[in-house]
Amino acid sequence: MTTVLKVDPEPPRTRPGARRRRFLTDVVRYRWLIFMMLPGIVYFVLFRFWPMYGAHIAFKNYIPFLGIEGSEWVGLAHFEEFFTNPDFPRLLTNTLIVASLSLFIAFPLTIVLALLLNELRLTILKRTVQTLVYIPHFLSWTVVVSLTALLFAIGNGPLWTFFNDLFGTDSNMLADPDWFRPLILMQMVWKDTGWGTIIFLAALAGVDQEQYQAAIIDGAGRWQRVWHITLPSIRPVIIILLILQTGRFLDTGFEQIYLMSNSLNRDVADVFDTYVYFTGIQQGAYSYSTAIGLSKALVGVVLIFGTNWLAKRFNQQGIF
Amino acid sequence: MNVRKRIPIVVLAVGGLVLSACSGGGDDSDPLETLDIMAPFYSEVPPEEDDPIDEALSELVGHDISVQWVPHSEYGDKVNVTLAGDDIPDVMVIEDKNQSFVQTAEAGGFWDLTDYLASGDYPNLVAENPEVQEATSVNGTVYGVYRARDVIRHSVILRADWLDNLDMDPPETTDDLMEIARAFTEDDPDGNGEDDTYGMINIEWPAAIGTGSPYDAIEVWHGAGNVWKDEGGTLTPSFETPEWKQAVEYEREMVENGYLNPDYATMAPEDWNTPFLNGEGGIIVDVQSRASQLVGLFKEQDPETFDQYVALAGQLEGPNGTYSMPTPGHKGILAIPKSGVQTEEQLEEVLTTLNNLNSTEAQNLMNNGIEGDNYTVEDGVAVRDPERQDFTDQVTGAWAQLGMNVAGYNAYPLAKETEFEQELEDLRLDLQSEDLENAVFNPAASLVSETYTTNGVQLDTMIADARIQYIDGQIDDAGLQDVFDQWHSSGGDDVLAELNDLYSELD
Repeated sequence: MTTVLKVDPEPPRTRPGARRRRFLTDVVRYRWLIFMMLPGIVYFVLFRFWPMYGAHIAFKNYIPFLGIEGSEWVGLAHFEEFFTNPDFPRLLTNTLIVASLSLFIAFPLTIVLALLLNELRLTILKRTVQTLVYIPHFLSWTVVVSLTALLFAIGNGPLWTFFNDLFGTDSNMLADPDWFRPLILMQMVWKDTGWGTIIFLAALAGVDQEQYQAAIIDGAGRWQRVWHITLPSIRPVIIILLILQTGRFLDTGFEQIYLMSNSLNRDVADVFDTYVYFTGIQQGAYSYSTAIGLSKALVGVVLIFGTNWLAKRFNQQGIF
Repeated sequence: MNVRKRIPIVVLAVGGLVLSACSGGGDDSDPLETLDIMAPFYSEVPPEEDDPIDEALSELVGHDISVQWVPHSEYGDKVNVTLAGDDIPDVMVIEDKNQSFVQTAEAGGFWDLTDYLASGDYPNLVAENPEVQEATSVNGTVYGVYRARDVIRHSVILRADWLDNLDMDPPETTDDLMEIARAFTEDDPDGNGEDDTYGMINIEWPAAIGTGSPYDAIEVWHGAGNVWKDEGGTLTPSFETPEWKQAVEYEREMVENGYLNPDYATMAPEDWNTPFLNGEGGIIVDVQSRASQLVGLFKEQDPETFDQYVALAGQLEGPNGTYSMPTPGHKGILAIPKSGVQTEEQLEEVLTTLNNLNSTEAQNLMNNGIEGDNYTVEDGVAVRDPERQDFTDQVTGAWAQLGMNVAGYNAYPLAKETEFEQELEDLRLDLQSEDLENAVFNPAASLVSETYTTNGVQLDTMIADARIQYIDGQIDDAGLQDVFDQWHSSGGDDVLAELNDLYSELD
């Protein structure tokens, strides 16, 4: 598709009239492509751009009855309240830790699993394992958390017994603050690692097989082939996914954390996403929670640009 | 050529259609044709649109009634989302006075019903308990007809067979309860020779205070007041009273000694009955209706001996006197948003309809069902047809929940299936009137502090979590004090000042 679009050289941009005619010709020429894009455009306009109009309630004291326009303008008051909130440092720490677990442990594990799957030579085994590791992705967090509760049930949960025997403890992991993050990580890895391999497997399928053959002739072992051929070949994909991932860095996921938190572990469990739920939805503090959401989005944008810039610094392909 | 030109038009048309679909609604001031009500349901499935009750009620009140049933677990969220949207019903059940409700009400989004209800034009809407109506108000302004509920519901439910085995009596005081919990844990109450039982069963409670948890009950019994305590004319948070401390120490002792289920902080609420039925734990502090629920479950297991397992006791005397914990006496209000009901004529129509929904006939429809279909009347009591149990469950789980009954409840009482269940019911009513005399009400129930509406959830969560952490031994006295200090500095002081201002204006 890209080649089709690049056939015509850029026209000389002299007269505005010519430009408009040029644009219309383009529209006519690519009418079917544009037509196929329509659903996507409508989706983005309707569900991504149109709602942004409402984001400015972050600067207002929004009361639904008065409407967005009728509500009082308060400037940065909600942001100030959020950043000076005594809960803020705790929320930030918890969010950063959970986000780091996902970025620095769960994400690399996806690559590792993809590499492992790629090394399987027996197709039927490979396909079976692939399908099996995809399945957890389709379970909702509610189901995953219920499963966890069963596995860690005091007295008869198999994992409760296993870990307590292993460490010689007698703790209730579901309530123990020290166990909260390991549990979250385990769930994350179990649920989405398999699913995340899809894109890497696709990239791995595109690696030139002749290079492997050449390497084998040169006497390269499996590890050397992975290190010197496979990884460099999929590096662009890794970088792009990493950049996209950092954009969602602070999205720790609401459901999982919310369902796993309780009175005894809330100190380590509360993250921005659950806080937004408590204030925004439960208490109806729309403006305040919008301000938090906007701050989060801002951090996401900064991170995307930052990693993209870094990637380019190191002579890698960025996403824009 | 034609096709090409049309594409942008199609884009506009599609976009326009979708956009206009979003901003529907209209403003007609004609008499209401359909009365739209938004309400929570507790049954497994909600009634269908125009189910027999809906049709009978619509006929009775002369209006088509249409209820949007929302699962009760997500009702609060749904209210906030609805208030922020365009499609607002004519009547909304509002369960608590949270920020979006209070702000909307104070901005004039709901009809002020104070004078309408006091006028006596709607006899079925005149409150039998004015204090309860006052408690549902926003600083004295009544925005809705409250859904009246029993004032005393809490009790202590025990394994009757264990008490018999150990030759013990149901508890009268909190000390008795501790002793029974000890005996249930240590003295092999089921007589199987194994150490496989514990005393009390608790569940994970939503992180809030004053919501009828076992912890709240034990605090009230110790004399800590109910959320707020009037001390010499000023309001003090009950968690800062010495009695509260005494109560949490009591609870902490139970945990330390293993008298409580080990997963008391994480057990799912729907599993509360299971350890009681299985004979793992023997005490539940909860609403009386749980006792009849448990009796029903035992009956399913064994219809012969089911009457030997459940004992019901009233609220307990504490070390500092006799206090009992009441419910708020209501489960929120039916408020009338101005965006749906725009003129005074329409409002009067809605109020007339609500008045009719409180007639004895409507109460029978909403609480018992359709006479001759799922129940019959014998000697003035309703006898349910077991064949139609599914329908009955739907009625009691949905329509009955909508019931207001502010001027009194006159529907047929329910016949009990067995003598034991009738005895239990009589005992329940006795305990209710006995405990009502010692009920400690929340003195700040009607007061709405601005800071509390914005920060209340966090403030309450802070205390509720600290309470569990203290009971669990995660934090000590100093840790508890730190949380109190944090409560004061992150808005608690403002709440205190605002409430006390409003409180002094009350009298």
